[in-house]
Amino acid sequence: MRLVAGIDVGSTYTKALLLREDRSIAAHALEPTGFRLAEIAETALRRALERAGLARDAVDYIVATGFGRHQVTFADVHVTDITAAARGATLLFPGTRTVLDVGGQTMKASRLAETAKVKAFRLNDKCAAGTGAFLEKTARYMGYSTEEIGPLVATSKEFPAISGVCAVFAESEVINHLSHGVAPADIMHGAIVSLVGRSVQLMKRVKMEPEFTLIGGILRFETMVRVAREALRADVNVPEGDLVQFVAALGAAQLGHRRLDQLAGGTPATATGRAEARTGVGPAEG
Amino acid sequence: MNEVVVFPEWREKDLDGILGACLELIEDTTFPTVKRWRDAGGKVVGHFQVYFPEELADAAGLLPFKVRGASIDASQADSRFGSYLCSVVKTSLELALSERVHLDLFVTHPICDAARNLAAVWGRNVSYPCQILYLPQNAASPSAATYLRGEYDRLRRVLEGIAGAPVPNEALRRSITRFNENRALLRELYAIKRETPWQVAAHEAYVLTAVGGLVPREEHNALLRTVLPLLRSRAAHAQDRIRVVFEGGFCEQPPLDLIRSIGRSCYVVDDDFLIGMRWILDDVDPGKDPLAALAAAYLEGSGYSPVQHDPRKPKERMLLDRIDRSDARAAIVSSAKMCEPGLEEQVAYVQALDGARIPHFVTEFEENMTTFEQLEIQLETFVENLLFD
Repeated sequence: MRLVAGIDVGSTYTKALLLREDRSIAAHALEPTGFRLAEIAETALRRALERAGLARDAVDYIVATGFGRHQVTFADVHVTDITAAARGATLLFPGTRTVLDVGGQTMKASRLAETAKVKAFRLNDKCAAGTGAFLEKTARYMGYSTEEIGPLVATSKEFPAISGVCAVFAESEVINHLSHGVAPADIMHGAIVSLVGRSVQLMKRVKMEPEFTLIGGILRFETMVRVAREALRADVNVPEGDLVQFVAALGAAQLGHRRLDQLAGGTPATATGRAEARTGVGPAEG
Repeated sequence: MNEVVVFPEWREKDLDGILGACLELIEDTTFPTVKRWRDAGGKVVGHFQVYFPEELADAAGLLPFKVRGASIDASQADSRFGSYLCSVVKTSLELALSERVHLDLFVTHPICDAARNLAAVWGRNVSYPCQILYLPQNAASPSAATYLRGEYDRLRRVLEGIAGAPVPNEALRRSITRFNENRALLRELYAIKRETPWQVAAHEAYVLTAVGGLVPREEHNALLRTVLPLLRSRAAHAQDRIRVVFEGGFCEQPPLDLIRSIGRSCYVVDDDFLIGMRWILDDVDPGKDPLAALAAAYLEGSGYSPVQHDPRKPKERMLLDRIDRSDARAAIVSSAKMCEPGLEEQVAYVQALDGARIPHFVTEFEENMTTFEQLEIQLETFVENLLFD
């Protein structure tokens, strides 16, 4: 049975996922990205293989995606995270027409055709406004870690308005609210509401259509999902558990299987026309 | 003058070191190799894009320097040319006005209105002579070869005046042999691009070619003789990428970062970057009359570009042939902004590609552009559509 690895080198985490020919997931692994992108991609892949009890040569094809995709020189092909996320979302939820991906440093909204092709997409501005980094910084100002955001905000009953989502200016707003006695859980809740508001604006700019599928590490927080559902006034699809962080890697792997199907069917015209042995390093393309 | 080594930095280095030294030279807007040549007492002939018979300058003991603009601010040249003209004429003139390069002769060609006017504008601002080499406007005319041989002879006399010595046929024959080797080495470089494109990235091949416009040919030959076997034996991983031809780099050159960006998504298996250096396709037999041999090669044994009008070589058919020969699946049809010949030809190219059902990506560039994110993502989307749909 053919096995494809999808590797998503995100700005905060690098994810590797192994997908079997029947589209079942063999294993997945996640590593903090850091700054040695090729190495961390290799590490994430190795971890996933260890979990699956497989050797490297069991992988027939590797697809890299995410902002650091071009550094994964051992991959067979690179795809944009927009395309990968679209394919991953539609594999999990075939009715998906709009994808919102909130990552550590980026936020992306895309509208899809029935074929899963991306018809329109928008990215957030160059700053980290409206991304996971904003929530992380807000939590850190109040002495909480990223992992504590979920349990913390679950206790909130109300929330103050957080006027902006600039990760830098948020600090003064947080301090101001704390000095007025607002509970950290409520401040965090307000930050999430603010972030969701920005997300919905981005989705409107791609002329969003249901079904909505929300992905990215931030969607691990149940409050985020609830607030998004309320803001959109519609139900939303959210992959279960930690799979919410692996959707682009899943989509990349799905594209890899599609490519192998094409190659097996004789679709020509790339440099190799087949998946080559993965040895050596590629030319330094920047 | 031939004993002067103007580019020693690549020697005694491994492949990555050599490529790094070449990249540094290409991006150095102080043109250190030209300066070293002059410091050793040599004289320099600057010749504007696209094609120039560099053998003549070489035979005269002069350094042929390819004037192709640069990534610089044309702050002085801006006052000499309108905003509706391409960037390369302005930044080329800026090289002289800002005294980044000192020449002994400048030659341009009537390849477009802007290039033709460049000699007059250039000449008003410098003390050395500026010339137009009138390449035949109708390459298919029965008189073209005789006419061009006469024009080369006129150029030879101009060069003799600069060098202060005659340029005998024997010296021309030696230079033609040197350039024959250079063209053969460049053909070998392009063979690697076609056959095993994962062994040489698009921007690496470009840099290796471009060095030739800045150094004497024997130095370029030595560089290529060393590098090509290293590329052939490079341990590189072949990726599953679309093979494309890039068309539109014949005069103004795309920024290196743009070429690098394209190379991240596709394998560029053929192109028209710096096409003047590869204009003559096969070895030239100097024979009894080297000038006639060079003229015949220009007309009968040459490539194509939007700035040569030859009804025997319809550009759109030539592009389809280039795609076919290189086994490419798609084309990137580009043009420099404000480039009339390039933009005009784009229409015919696109129509021909549509007719042949060859996928193509159309874009524009400017040598001084600095952001490529949008273009890169558009190109990646184009590639993904070809790969997965």
